[in-house]
Amino acid sequence: MKSRAQIEAMLNYVQTVENNALQFDEEAILRAYETDEDNQSLGIKVLSVFGGILASLAFCGFFFVSGLYDSTGALLMFGVLLIGGAIVLATQIKKVIIDTLSVSSFIIGLLLFGFGLAKLELDENTLTLVFMAIGVGTLSITRNYILCFVSVLVINGSFLTLIISNDKYDVIHFYISLLTVVTAYFFLNESKIIAAGKAPAKLYSPVRIGLIFSLLSALFIVGKKGIFPLLPHLIWLSSISAVGAIIFLLPKILDVLEITSKKHRISIAVFSLVALSTTALCPAISGAMLIVLLSFFTNYKTGLAIGIIAFIYFVSQYYYDLSFTLLTKSILMFSTGILLAGFYLLTYKKLMSNEKV
Amino acid sequence: MKHLERADIHTISTHGNLTEAGVERLLKENVYNNKTAWQSFLRLFFVALGVGFMAAGIVFFFAYNWASLHKFAKIGLILALMVTTVGLVLFLKSNINIRNTMLTGAAVLVGVLFAVFGQVYQTGANAYDFFLAWTIFITLWVVVSDFAPLWLLYLILINTTLYLYAEQVATDWPETMVFGLQFVINTSVLIALIWLGKHRKLVQAPPWFISVVTLACATFATLAICIGIFAKYAAIFPIIVCVTAIVYALGIGYALKLKSGFFLSVVAFSLIVMVSAVLVEISDGESMLLLVSLFIIASVTLVIRTLMGLQKKWKNAGS
Repeated sequence: MKSRAQIEAMLNYVQTVENNALQFDEEAILRAYETDEDNQSLGIKVLSVFGGILASLAFCGFFFVSGLYDSTGALLMFGVLLIGGAIVLATQIKKVIIDTLSVSSFIIGLLLFGFGLAKLELDENTLTLVFMAIGVGTLSITRNYILCFVSVLVINGSFLTLIISNDKYDVIHFYISLLTVVTAYFFLNESKIIAAGKAPAKLYSPVRIGLIFSLLSALFIVGKKGIFPLLPHLIWLSSISAVGAIIFLLPKILDVLEITSKKHRISIAVFSLVALSTTALCPAISGAMLIVLLSFFTNYKTGLAIGIIAFIYFVSQYYYDLSFTLLTKSILMFSTGILLAGFYLLTYKKLMSNEKV
Repeated sequence: MKHLERADIHTISTHGNLTEAGVERLLKENVYNNKTAWQSFLRLFFVALGVGFMAAGIVFFFAYNWASLHKFAKIGLILALMVTTVGLVLFLKSNINIRNTMLTGAAVLVGVLFAVFGQVYQTGANAYDFFLAWTIFITLWVVVSDFAPLWLLYLILINTTLYLYAEQVATDWPETMVFGLQFVINTSVLIALIWLGKHRKLVQAPPWFISVVTLACATFATLAICIGIFAKYAAIFPIIVCVTAIVYALGIGYALKLKSGFFLSVVAFSLIVMVSAVLVEISDGESMLLLVSLFIIASVTLVIRTLMGLQKKWKNAGS
């Protein structure tokens, strides 16, 4: 919560950044800080989500046991009611305590609606497209954080389901490339999206974390051998977008590091390209690396933590799956380690240069 | 100097007419990482990756040759590692946290040593006495070091020993009793630490440690009571219920005094799960599950409301 004086100080500072005279709705800003919904303590958020999950489980249990499962009409009706109810609740009453109700209602509604549609024996593609439409619709209507996050995951899941049910597994490379480009665009154009209007600004945070989870889940499927029957000689396709995005991000990073000499920039770019191309057979590694770099560039701590954990996991997974003997693997890893340590020593002077000044 | 946080920029921009360039400048100056941050990050990144890969390479090398090593070599190798680590801890003049971390590493090596011993002489995996021996042999280090991660390792070992003992030797103990015992042990540690921290100033347990142990205690209590509810035959069940009730009451009182929402959330959530279990057990009808679902929603909402009200009250009282 911020006092009026603090808010005025903030607004004065903001005014110094812009050239034109700015107008602010101070009352609205004060009210926004007072309700302060997104700044609840982690304990309350976690309690809310867990409560929602438990309630959903119990309700599903009730549904199966009571035999309502057999009636298609009831399933569809309840499903739509619950989804609609969740959206209405979240939109009209902007309080955290309604989050539990709205999240559990939404998830249960989705499940029921899905079961109902499945019973109608529609074409699988139609079913998936309907779910995708629900996801997109929810995104466009509601501004609630958790509902938007779940909608992004639903859309992502629908895409993956479309790929699986049509047995076109290699399309996932195209999908991952699309996701990578969208995620990178989202991270790097924060100002454009925030300044575009009230709705995009509110949607930014949940969509961002939703995109990260979607990208990581798609990469996980490609990274772990045997989940999808992919053509092994096409796996490097997914790496292209991630490597491309990293190379695109490189000049921006070098600008922040104030490395301006053309010779240095080109040599760093070439070295990075070579280093990244060694991981071409495991797009998950370059994807996780991209998330780490993007999150650090925009100082998004949650994304950074998730990216680092994913990176460590994917690298371990890659080495575990390598079908060399342990001796070969050990030599490989040791030499990689020496290379990296050598790179550290080489750039040590450069990276410490500013501290003396 | 950083004047704003990201959430502030989002809020202000939503209610004003900032341009894209303005928001970009605000973000760059207040939120995005600058040169020094990037330099530290890259330094840490390369060092961590380099050392990690080299260590992994060495481990893999030993793994490859493990089967062909003589048994004295295997045990001797680990002993040598352990002695080197402890020697470093004693004689290296660096930061106390680094030395404590190395001591924790040595404690893990004790376990590795016993595991290798068990593998060489085929004493059987998961034998509870392996964990018991491990626990006993690092007791001295745990007491001396005053280092929370090492305490955490010690607690994990004690709990594992107890659980495996119940599974392998005392198979006639009801499950409720095992979990109840673990609850009692962990709670005693928790209470002892809190009391020592406040009144004797002997040890200061860091908040994250207290939170983790609290979560563990609550988990065991919940498990013990839920299993007891469904099992219905354990004679020890009423005792456990009483002990839990007393501990929870104490916990709530302590939380209110300390103005910490965390204890209250944990106790509240545990109670909700327990009551749901009771409800499910009382009737086997399907309508009860619906009732349970509604009950969970209502109770969680009520708890969150109360917590938020308390938080507001504490903030106003404090500020």
